[in-house]
Amino acid sequence: MSSFMFRKRASSGSCVVLSQNPEAKTQSVPYLLFSTLSEPQPATLNKPSKPQNLSNSISKTSKTLLGSVHNHTFSSNIFFSGSKPLALSSASGKNITGSHCSLLSSISFGSQRRGIWHLSTENKVLASGCGVLGLPMVKSLYSSRGGLAPCSLVCLFGTQAAMEPSTCDGLTVDRIIASDWPILDEDESDWKSHAAAIAQSIHLIKKRLQWKKLMVRLDLLSVEVNKPDLWNDPVHAGKISREHGSLMGKMKEVKAFERELLEHIDMVKLAREENDAELESESMNALLKMRRTSKEKETEALLAGEQDPCSCYIEVQAGAGGTESNDWAAMVMQMYKMWAQQHGYKISVVDEMPGEIAGIKRATIKVDGEYAFGYAKAEVGVHRLVRISPFDSSKRRHTSFAAVAVTPINEDASAHVQINDSDLRIERFRSGGPGGQHANTTDSAVRIVHVPTGITATSQNERSQHMNKASAMAVLQSRLDQLEMARQTQMNAQYSQSLTDITWGSQIRSYVLHPYRMVKDLRTNYEVSDPDSVLEGDLDGFIMSYLSASLDKDEDDR
Amino acid sequence: MKLSFSPRRSTFLKPSLVTNLHRSVCSSSISSPPPTSLKPQTPLFLKPPIHSAASSDLQKWHDWAKSLASSVGSTFLDLDNGPDSTLLCRELKWLMEDAIEEESEGMENNQRSIRLRVALEELYMLWKQRVEERRPFQYVVGCEHWRDLVLCVQEGVLIPRPETELIVDLVGDVVLGNEGLREGLWADLGTGSGAIAIGIGRILGTGGRVIATDLSPAAIGVAGFNVQRYGLQDVVELRQGSWFEPLKDMEGKLAGFVSNPPYIPSDDISGLQAEVGRHEPRVALDGGINGMDDLLHICKGAASMLKPGGFFAFETNGEKQSKHLVEYMENDAGGSFCNLKIVPDFAGIHRFVTGFHK
Repeated sequence: MSSFMFRKRASSGSCVVLSQNPEAKTQSVPYLLFSTLSEPQPATLNKPSKPQNLSNSISKTSKTLLGSVHNHTFSSNIFFSGSKPLALSSASGKNITGSHCSLLSSISFGSQRRGIWHLSTENKVLASGCGVLGLPMVKSLYSSRGGLAPCSLVCLFGTQAAMEPSTCDGLTVDRIIASDWPILDEDESDWKSHAAAIAQSIHLIKKRLQWKKLMVRLDLLSVEVNKPDLWNDPVHAGKISREHGSLMGKMKEVKAFERELLEHIDMVKLAREENDAELESESMNALLKMRRTSKEKETEALLAGEQDPCSCYIEVQAGAGGTESNDWAAMVMQMYKMWAQQHGYKISVVDEMPGEIAGIKRATIKVDGEYAFGYAKAEVGVHRLVRISPFDSSKRRHTSFAAVAVTPINEDASAHVQINDSDLRIERFRSGGPGGQHANTTDSAVRIVHVPTGITATSQNERSQHMNKASAMAVLQSRLDQLEMARQTQMNAQYSQSLTDITWGSQIRSYVLHPYRMVKDLRTNYEVSDPDSVLEGDLDGFIMSYLSASLDKDEDDR
Repeated sequence: MKLSFSPRRSTFLKPSLVTNLHRSVCSSSISSPPPTSLKPQTPLFLKPPIHSAASSDLQKWHDWAKSLASSVGSTFLDLDNGPDSTLLCRELKWLMEDAIEEESEGMENNQRSIRLRVALEELYMLWKQRVEERRPFQYVVGCEHWRDLVLCVQEGVLIPRPETELIVDLVGDVVLGNEGLREGLWADLGTGSGAIAIGIGRILGTGGRVIATDLSPAAIGVAGFNVQRYGLQDVVELRQGSWFEPLKDMEGKLAGFVSNPPYIPSDDISGLQAEVGRHEPRVALDGGINGMDDLLHICKGAASMLKPGGFFAFETNGEKQSKHLVEYMENDAGGSFCNLKIVPDFAGIHRFVTGFHK
């Protein structure tokens, strides 16, 4: 795929290919990944993320040109930054592998830790004079034109508009990252520090948005949207154009953010040249402001999934083990209620089946509010408790399990799976006796069974049967929607959300209250030594580390 | 809960109806002749929050109420199919919802004062009545959540049952594809709190009207209050009287009628669940020796009241009554009905009989 993309881009216009420095990324990304966490970070979190496969970064970079190519008239140059081995190794990005990657970094950086920005002015190779370039030509171009003087490059950038958003002197976001400028505190008035921080955020945002996949998807959607017969199927067309609009919006937002950064850098430099103190401080302030908003954007980008902004249901089910396990399920549910409350989400209990002596066998709550699903999806799986059971008279240590399922509530009715009334069996819950006028009861619990799938939903906490039915119906709808989504995801694994495969057997987190005290997430190794705070709903550390880590994983899988 | 307070209709059928409606609404809110007070009591959740209590005192009440509820266990359930502790605890939660102006979260801060719609002492009394006297929860809080409505109820008026909600769905199904029925004149016989009439009034078209009758002045008063609360004064008209009696001018004009008449056999009344037998109006429950007196009376009148193609639906005690009524309407009613159906409720009991006038 990546080689295909590379070729396609290169032939449709011209192209600047920048190598990214993998080491620079390794050093800076892990800190940033968790910058949105409120918890202090345990050491285990700071494991270095794997260097990105260079072919990815190259084709990604080439993709980023999409937005800028048509904005510029200058379009007949291929420009390679980086070092010879990269350009010579292959004409196609596919073959540029990790070994080149490390070679590249050692060459580019060596021990001096100079920024690639400086390096590139020395090592850059320009190939010019071609209208449309296919990649196979690059190699020959490179070899024939390899000896161009660096100074001509500077001129080039000074006088011509570049493909990728860049400053007057050719600085791009990728190169800011590669330059590895130290990121100082916000109050240090250093533009390089601000720029580096913002560039890192942009990089992270792109990663979280799955930039490459997003661009591929956007391409596909653009083709679809431009088909003349698109609106023959209005439902499909609506879906396509909505998604296209949404992705286009995300893409443009990041692009605009990039351009804004570079413009401010230009202004700072200009101000210095002209000794304009007012302009300089203005631009510095603008950079600082960007630096702050970039943190928010990072978090937003973490929740870029289609369903993430939805409200959701959280369902907790006790594992085997009677009262102790029912009590654990109730503790888990309480944890989510408190978490939701702390985040200003509105919660309502949809369904609750109490245990015989204590706790719950099962319960479902509705969590209403923006991004409830985006965060709560990190909690899906089996939660394990180890403690001395207060229900055990001989004070033995018990291990209990509770399974958590999270279902998004899709407000968009057109995205709902169609449910036929004839497929439903609606039952009064716990009914008995002649009913009707004979009985006065405030209990109007309803169970709905979707006969073809066997999926059921119950609601008992509303005050009328009608509302219980509506509430159970909503739960059923979201379960069927999720089932359908999982089915589609399997069919279309290319653009999948990583969270749709819920396996109830998978244990995700361990809460140990005895003989030591610790909560540890088995997926991220994130751990906290104060279980009480976690059980009181302080879950953000776990959630954010999982969300970040799951994006890392996506990146590695690619 | 969605309430529409703006009147949905600007004009009404006939001037006489307006005067009638006006009279019934006025009589319900102004004149209150003994022995029955016609002015409906304000349900708890609509009372102004003029009382207050310290959070700790409220917590104390809550703990007391909860332990009282827990002490019940399954005693009532075993005795007469009454509520068990779980149900009572849920009712307690709802009582708090209705009584407290703003639900306090967890009540951690004991110093905080909480605004209440009823004095704390009265809360003690109300819960005592609920558990010890088996006063129905709906009378305690003065309202019943029914479909998407919150209806005012009080002693003397039957508390609408969850099963009965389905009558509105049955009507909804038939008016969906039938403009004549959707824009027609409907009747709810023995309306009680006005539940079915209001439910139907909200699903009919702009031309649709409902006349709701009830023998009990208390019921008419409460129904009038509920109709007004949902802004349906121009849609639902209330008339006091027995069954079809107040509808003499409507013979052959009804697009449809519905009813949940008393259908419990007289002999069963003494063994009823305490909440029902001790507190709800017998006149709304007792259907005579086999429970069918009123149902048969209504069936007999159906043919003359309904216009051709008109629809009816009523609630019964279950399979036996439903079967009997269908047989009656097929044979004795001279073949003036078609599409007779028995429709079960969500518990699977054959609860409703529906059909069309030929």
